[in-house]
Amino acid sequence: MPRELLADYPQANGRHDELFAAPLEARAHWKPMLDQLAAEPAERMRERLQSVQRQMRENGVTYNMYADPQGADRPWELDVLPLILPQEEWSAIEAAVVQRATLLNATLLDIYGEQRLLREGLLPPALVHGHAGFLRPCHGIKPPGGTMLHLYAADLARSPDGRWWVIDDRTQAPSGAGYALENRIVISRAFPELYRDLKVQHLASFFATLRYSLAHWAPQDGGAPFIVLLTPGPLNETYFEHTYLARYLGLPLVEGSDLTVREGCVWLKTLTGLKRVHALLRRLDDDYCDPLELRSDSALGVPGLVDAMRRGNVLVANALGANLLESSTLLGFLPRLCERLLGEALRMPSVATWWCGEPAALQSVIANLERLVVKAAFPQLRVEPMFGEDLDQRGSKRVIAMLRARPNDYVAQEIVQLSQAPVWDRSHHRRLLARAIGLRVYACASPNGYVVMPGGLTRVASAADARVISMQRGGSSKDTWVIASGPVSTFSLLRRAVGPGELVRSGTNLSSRVVENLFWFGRYSERCDATARLLRLALGRLLDDIPGDEERERPMILELLRGAGILPKGERDPDDAELARTLRAAVADETRPGLAGGLRELARVASPLRERLSFDNWRTLNRMTRGLALHRSRSLALADVLAELDNTIASFTTLSGYALDGMTRDPGWRFLSIGRRIERLQTLCTTLQQALSGPADAELSWLLRLADSIITYRARYMASPEWLPVLDLLVCDEANPRSIAFQVLGLQDFTGRLIELFGDFGAERFESSVAALQGIDPAVDLHPGRGRLSAMLQDWHDASSRLAEQVGLRFFSHVGERSRQTFAS
Amino acid sequence: MRLNVLHETRYRYSSPVVLSQQLLHLTPRTLPWQACRTHRITVAPQAGEFDWHQDYYGNPIVRALLAAPHEALLVRAESEVEVAPREQAALAAPQIPWETLRERLHALDAPPLEPADFLYESPHVETWHELADYAAKSFRQGHGALEAARDLARRIHKDYAFDRKATSVATPLRQVVRQRRGVCQDFAHLMIGCLRSLGLPGRYVSGYILTDPPPGRPRLVGADASHAWVSVYCGEEAGWVDIDPTNDCLVDDEHVTLGWGRDFGDVTPMRGVILGGGEQELEVRVTVTPMSGAPLESMHDG
Repeated sequence: MPRELLADYPQANGRHDELFAAPLEARAHWKPMLDQLAAEPAERMRERLQSVQRQMRENGVTYNMYADPQGADRPWELDVLPLILPQEEWSAIEAAVVQRATLLNATLLDIYGEQRLLREGLLPPALVHGHAGFLRPCHGIKPPGGTMLHLYAADLARSPDGRWWVIDDRTQAPSGAGYALENRIVISRAFPELYRDLKVQHLASFFATLRYSLAHWAPQDGGAPFIVLLTPGPLNETYFEHTYLARYLGLPLVEGSDLTVREGCVWLKTLTGLKRVHALLRRLDDDYCDPLELRSDSALGVPGLVDAMRRGNVLVANALGANLLESSTLLGFLPRLCERLLGEALRMPSVATWWCGEPAALQSVIANLERLVVKAAFPQLRVEPMFGEDLDQRGSKRVIAMLRARPNDYVAQEIVQLSQAPVWDRSHHRRLLARAIGLRVYACASPNGYVVMPGGLTRVASAADARVISMQRGGSSKDTWVIASGPVSTFSLLRRAVGPGELVRSGTNLSSRVVENLFWFGRYSERCDATARLLRLALGRLLDDIPGDEERERPMILELLRGAGILPKGERDPDDAELARTLRAAVADETRPGLAGGLRELARVASPLRERLSFDNWRTLNRMTRGLALHRSRSLALADVLAELDNTIASFTTLSGYALDGMTRDPGWRFLSIGRRIERLQTLCTTLQQALSGPADAELSWLLRLADSIITYRARYMASPEWLPVLDLLVCDEANPRSIAFQVLGLQDFTGRLIELFGDFGAERFESSVAALQGIDPAVDLHPGRGRLSAMLQDWHDASSRLAEQVGLRFFSHVGERSRQTFAS
Repeated sequence: MRLNVLHETRYRYSSPVVLSQQLLHLTPRTLPWQACRTHRITVAPQAGEFDWHQDYYGNPIVRALLAAPHEALLVRAESEVEVAPREQAALAAPQIPWETLRERLHALDAPPLEPADFLYESPHVETWHELADYAAKSFRQGHGALEAARDLARRIHKDYAFDRKATSVATPLRQVVRQRRGVCQDFAHLMIGCLRSLGLPGRYVSGYILTDPPPGRPRLVGADASHAWVSVYCGEEAGWVDIDPTNDCLVDDEHVTLGWGRDFGDVTPMRGVILGGGEQELEVRVTVTPMSGAPLESMHDG
């Protein structure tokens, strides 16, 4: 036995140990893992940990904290060791979760239908009518296929005797399945041989079943049903998961304001008009889903959604109203509901729970308070759990008075002794620690009954003896391996067969919001690139030994820095030390105009595009942001800052490479490209106007460097830069991707295509801009001091501003605008 | 009594509304003591979608959708309603001590379901100990539920001032209690909160009262707007009895019932969601006249 590995792994006192059956006697299904850890060199694990960290970072796996005052994304925590469960044990869990999902679905159907359970006295009415999650407008709606609960999650914990218990039910919009999938992809790569040899069951078919079942039950109107994933938006704590699932399931990710209800049907607002939505997998809470009939203060929902459900015109998964079952009060009643509705005994017990609304239960809770935890009976009450063992005499008195005053509002539960499992100690080279764990298991409805995801999300507490596990309170997670006894299904959703009828080529289904974000993604990435080049130029001049005659360009560069907001306008020129400080801040400080601030804006518009941008885009973006964040924390030499700018500029080149080489030429790509071209054209115009206003005999290589055209120039002319060839290259040369001509002609082409697709929207067609370009006489116009070129630059700049405005009005105007409520009595 | 009701709601918006979805609780409910002879709702500009339904509580409800841009919206509901007296019947019904009633409603073995909807907190009606304490002065030991509820209405009428400027639809009940003033909607919520704080059901009723009373009877408060009062559950035999705390009276044939729910939110006369619109101005006018009375006054279109 590897003593070093286990030196700090404690004996489980009074709790179940996932790893050991008895002191130093590992359970059979853990042995291959332990053997590998003991046999391999320590170096191997270090590499593995680094690889896991890198993948999590680069894929941008985060868990957003509402509570965080910065609103910052916290990285998702993942332990490198999976939780391993043998097939026999899993089969029992699976059967119990299938039964429970079936039971809860039947209970929901009854409460939102006939209400036999209430009439027969099997459920106290207070549990339904006292729960804010009982949505009266949803009563009487007949869900397609008799299914209200499409995706269900059970939180399980294992007691000291090794039995599994259900401690919570997630019926509304269970989170974590996407994280489980991401965990699996990362951890299976960390232990590729073991993963294969242990025959770990794969997860993909679960997601395929979910998608297939939604399509199966969605209302039909001929073609393939159109399914979308509804998210509350990027501020939600599990937004990463929404984007991840949307991409994995191949569903467009939409927000409430992207949808509208007409004629009792749900529609997606797209570039080409409204597109019917047949099914909606939602990650938005029940009562926020329809501000017209449900919570009137919701800005996130789709007004009229409940009515569309009522008319049977849309499948909403889970059905609205499912939140009703997220209440611990129900737990004590489930055994008899199971007998009544399914005619069988409940397979897996729930943690012992007493609802204080029953007088006998209240008495027994008061008598045993020190062994119990008191919780709110209904989610709307927002009471933190109170542990009886923490209360002194005065505290208990207060709690008992509280229970007596409003008994219906409280439940009491036994405190669950969570089992412990090994986690890898990242601060040590070879050591296992013990942590309390809970297991979240997922089930989805299918026409053949509920199907359980073979695996799940293992949640890890921050200590071995923790009483609660919460991802919001700094917990971590694990992959969950169910070891198959038979052959493993290697089905992958990524290889789903598409019929010829399902082929999609046009890309006009794009929602208006996506298109707006793509447009700004184009603009901001170009803007950041220009800022980085300007900063590099300015910083480089501070470091290099500038010959005296180049000092004459300094005022122009300072003026460009002022134009970019990096230097304050209208102040005297700074000295070199001041300038260095300002430039350094402009590189790394997000709160000031400059590169870091620009990147933050870029990340903001990119975030809702996650499901449309490839992982490579993300990695590049994340790397840049992290690189700059490092500069904030420590003060680097100017040369290092310069090196970081080089990296950033290289990264932007990579990003534009993805856009050029990795994106289909659908309308979305055109909007992105229009954004880029408009921004580049404006930067060029501003820069050239500045250059033209300087001394006629100024040195011009700074201008070429800024416009990334110095290589071409040198190759062509092999001489120091002069006005005529420089201006020809930067203004007239249609082959130079950084010339005015290239931008203007591109914009003319793209606008033409938009008009072809969507009809004339009064857009700037760049006819006079092109005519002006063609009318340039190099001998006359391409010199400083000729007013005509300067005026043309201004015209081109104005034309691109007009186009930006017209595109916005035609395609984005209603996006971002939230609907609002009105009341009149 | 035969009454004519005209309820006009006009919105003016500073910029066009591009989509407006409205739920209208403007149709009088058909009841044993109330029949709606004629009823018509007109929406200007014309609604693209307009259909009738019944809500969860059985109230008639209209769903209207306007997708053409508009800068004003006029909704006009006109009804002729026949209302029979019911005060005497309420007074004649058998009375049950309120504690007995409460026990029955909270029994664990299949208590009556219908009042259960109205026993607990709802979005506009919070319950807390202060309300229970206030109500307890009327709900003395062994008193009948109706008798106690009438006393509660009398005290609310005495202790609270009617003040149109004091509250809006968004004012929470706690603030109404703090400032001791409000309008009929606030008094209805307050009385319901008191009942529920004691564990008794309370229902919010939306409707109208006669604008100008018949000779010899006093003009009631709240007559030129939509009105609200409370329904108190008095046992399986006596059923629900309506009490108007704003006027400290039992509801008789001068009240027209639109519908009921747990609170204002369930039966808001006009609840909508709009896209666009900018600043908005709202004007509501209600006129209730006896059928033999003076001709109807109306807002002019345009």
